[in-house]
Amino acid sequence: MENSEGTPCVELRNVVKGFPGVTAVDHVSLKVEQGKIFSLLGPSGCGKTTTLRLVAGFETLDEGDVLIDNKVVNDIPAHKRNCSTVFQTLALFPHMTVEENIAYGLERRKFPKDEIKNRVGEALELMQLSGMGKRRPSQLSGGQRQRVALARSLVLRPRILLLDEPLASLDRKLRKEMQTEVRQIQQEVGITFLYVTHDQKEALSISDTIAVMGKGRLEQVGTPNEIYETPRTMFIADFMGATNIFLGKAITSGSREVQLESEDGLRVIATKNKDIRNEEIAGISVHPERIEVLPEGTDLEADNKFRGKIAEMNYQGDFTEVKICLNHVDRFITVHLSNEPGQNARFSLGEGVLLCWSRHSSNILIG
Amino acid sequence: MKSLTGKTLLAIATLTYLFMWVPAIMVIVFSFSNDKLGVRWEGFTLRWYSEIFSNVAVRDAFGMSLTVAVITVVVSTAVGTLAAYGLYKYKFRGREALRMSLLLPIIMPAVITGGALLVFFTRVLNVPLGYPSILIAHISFGTPLAIFIILGRMARIDWSLEEASADLGADRLTTWRKITIPVLLPAIIASAILIFPWSFGDFTITFFVAGAGDTTLPIYVFSALRFGETAAINAISTIFVALPVAFLLLMGFYKRKK
Amino acid sequence: MFLRERIRELLAKYPYLPSVGPVSIWVILFVIAPLGVILYFSFLTTGDFGVILHIFTLENYLAMARSTVVEVFLRTLLFSTAISMLCLLLGYPLAYFIVMYGGRWKILLVFLVVLPEWTSYLIRLYALRSIVRSGGLINSVLLSLGLISSPLPLLYNPFTVVVGLVYGYLPLMVLPLYASLEGLDPSLLEASGDLGATPFRRFFTVTLPLTKGGVLAGILLTFIPAIGDWLVPLLMGGPGTLMVGNLVFLHFIDVGNIPAGSAIGMALTVIILLMLYFCIRAGGKEATERII
Repeated sequence: MENSEGTPCVELRNVVKGFPGVTAVDHVSLKVEQGKIFSLLGPSGCGKTTTLRLVAGFETLDEGDVLIDNKVVNDIPAHKRNCSTVFQTLALFPHMTVEENIAYGLERRKFPKDEIKNRVGEALELMQLSGMGKRRPSQLSGGQRQRVALARSLVLRPRILLLDEPLASLDRKLRKEMQTEVRQIQQEVGITFLYVTHDQKEALSISDTIAVMGKGRLEQVGTPNEIYETPRTMFIADFMGATNIFLGKAITSGSREVQLESEDGLRVIATKNKDIRNEEIAGISVHPERIEVLPEGTDLEADNKFRGKIAEMNYQGDFTEVKICLNHVDRFITVHLSNEPGQNARFSLGEGVLLCWSRHSSNILIG
Repeated sequence: MKSLTGKTLLAIATLTYLFMWVPAIMVIVFSFSNDKLGVRWEGFTLRWYSEIFSNVAVRDAFGMSLTVAVITVVVSTAVGTLAAYGLYKYKFRGREALRMSLLLPIIMPAVITGGALLVFFTRVLNVPLGYPSILIAHISFGTPLAIFIILGRMARIDWSLEEASADLGADRLTTWRKITIPVLLPAIIASAILIFPWSFGDFTITFFVAGAGDTTLPIYVFSALRFGETAAINAISTIFVALPVAFLLLMGFYKRKK
Repeated sequence: MFLRERIRELLAKYPYLPSVGPVSIWVILFVIAPLGVILYFSFLTTGDFGVILHIFTLENYLAMARSTVVEVFLRTLLFSTAISMLCLLLGYPLAYFIVMYGGRWKILLVFLVVLPEWTSYLIRLYALRSIVRSGGLINSVLLSLGLISSPLPLLYNPFTVVVGLVYGYLPLMVLPLYASLEGLDPSLLEASGDLGATPFRRFFTVTLPLTKGGVLAGILLTFIPAIGDWLVPLLMGGPGTLMVGNLVFLHFIDVGNIPAGSAIGMALTVIILLMLYFCIRAGGKEATERII
């Protein structure tokens, strides 16, 4: 199956899928680039899993087209599509051994017996499962089961691998390890991955491209950096953990900067990197790590300067989350203070501080 | 068992178990006793067993009960598995009605079902009394039993297994064969284990729908009862108790092999 | 291949047909139709030589108002209520014992209760009768102990019938009770003990209400088969212990009066359905789930 340069591996064109009472996928169009990890990120109920299932063929769409390798596959049943799914529950066949599980897809394709044996052996090695072949899924650890599920799908060399929150059931440490493994495996094998997750950190760490979804709609598509640094809408900013959001009216004085007059009377300055009209209602988000905390009396030039008192300090290990209550205004700003030795002056609860950040750290939000 | 509550419960439990089991134990014991009436101990003997094994009538009755039970189990589990699957996975008009009607054979008293089937077979549908009528009656009871047992298990299965199978390239039939059935197997076997003894030991419904000359083992026993207890009947009764025990032991071996 | 296309269309529109279809046909044909036929026959009458006349009449139902029939019905209901309660009184402690004190032997103990159900009901009653009759075990023991001088006529009276019914249906009470008790969250019992309840109080305020579903299921599972029972009165009862089931058998087989038997059968069915309806209302979905 030839894929000319630039042809997306998977494409959705204006896809709509509804269930009684709810439109799960609302006019979604996207292109998944060949050979990369593309993540669908969003809170539960946003439609990401339904979208994945539409690509896999487990759901039929109401409107629009799903294309795999530039071919419309709307009417092709799941077992005939050239994609493979890793399920959230892993769905390992409990009555079969690891080998039999991995061989299952190959047997369905009528591969000759020795070819199957070879491929299964290769897969076991690739997944560091050599020697586990004769075990049953119930005898494996969580991480091992993950790898069997991956192996079972990858051994078929599908055009695209679909993963539905595969790491959701693992504990944090294991999840972080598996995230790295998933990325490594993908790079080794070179297959396109379509990955569904609700964990923004996970999406940021493994994806090449992220598509954020909310209420069935595509909110933003971009690189992890773009999504994190410059979220387009309030929803995305909030979901990605930007805890400092100012809402208000945008005043575009020059062509290069935007001033936001927030509802509580603050003025926040941002560089104008998005299309925004004067007097338009908008928002500005600032990441907690981009805000500098200085002693109250410091004299400093900065685009955005605010004064307040430290209300809360929560030690988080590599950083401390500090909440500052601004003077004269009922608003809290969250700042992450690095705990690296020598990084910041020591602050204490109740202390008055000066907060500042540059206009480049302000991100304009529309909608 | 230190507490008073514990001791009282133990006492009640023991008495209850005795109440349940002494009759059966006595029958088994006296089936080995050299007393024609089977009520006293007159020395150990196996003659009653050799007597019933050489008795053609008993052998035929045993054969009939066995045949009916085996066919009932096979058909009930097959139809039942299919039906349970459909009931679980699909929503359709009349689903609740079907469920409720499947309850009927189980809750209706045997005399009514027996009578109803007899009238139906003789006056409406003209089904020959004998194997056909008995089999229909037994399957009508066994299938709902299988359905409810399998339905119960279905609620605890991860159904993405079927999707995974399809995802890996299996069509509906292959998925059914290689994944669905094996996963449902414990429940299917459980229903077989329940249906077989029921069918083998059923008296009332079989009695109603059997033809004049048809004798299953329970019917044979019933006729023999007219003449009072005998050790021979004790021997036959022991078979009825031995069967489920044999099943249990088989199950135990099967589990241990795993 | 036009047929193939049509089948494919049909399957797409009604995917449940192949799985549910056969059973539905079977149920309509061999479960519902026979009952419908009985209902129909209950309104007919017999003529000379027992031939059935297809004339609509209510005489079979009116005949049930006769005191003899009413007596049988009342007796049946009385017996069934009694044995249901007795089964509960015996079965609950037994189930409780197995769950709370059974330990590793739990499964075995449950099997010992359930096993009798897997043998033939007729055979079990035969076994009980063997013990109870004048030449049987109980009398032999009592005689040899010198407690009585001649055998007690234990058979053929109402008391024996009740004992026989309890003997027959006790396992059906224990199972749902066991399931209900086993499913109890032990931390609930601990919590109540923690808050100062005595075991006695704890039972009535925590355990019993939480096992309500099992109790209801057990009552249903013993009461309903009991009111249709005819073997216990037949084998162990006397003329004064006739139950509704015996009447049905009498009319169907002995006398050959199918309309009369049908009417009695219908009446019994209605009683059962009413009982089920009220129990489901009272117990809610949990009870039905237990049974099913």
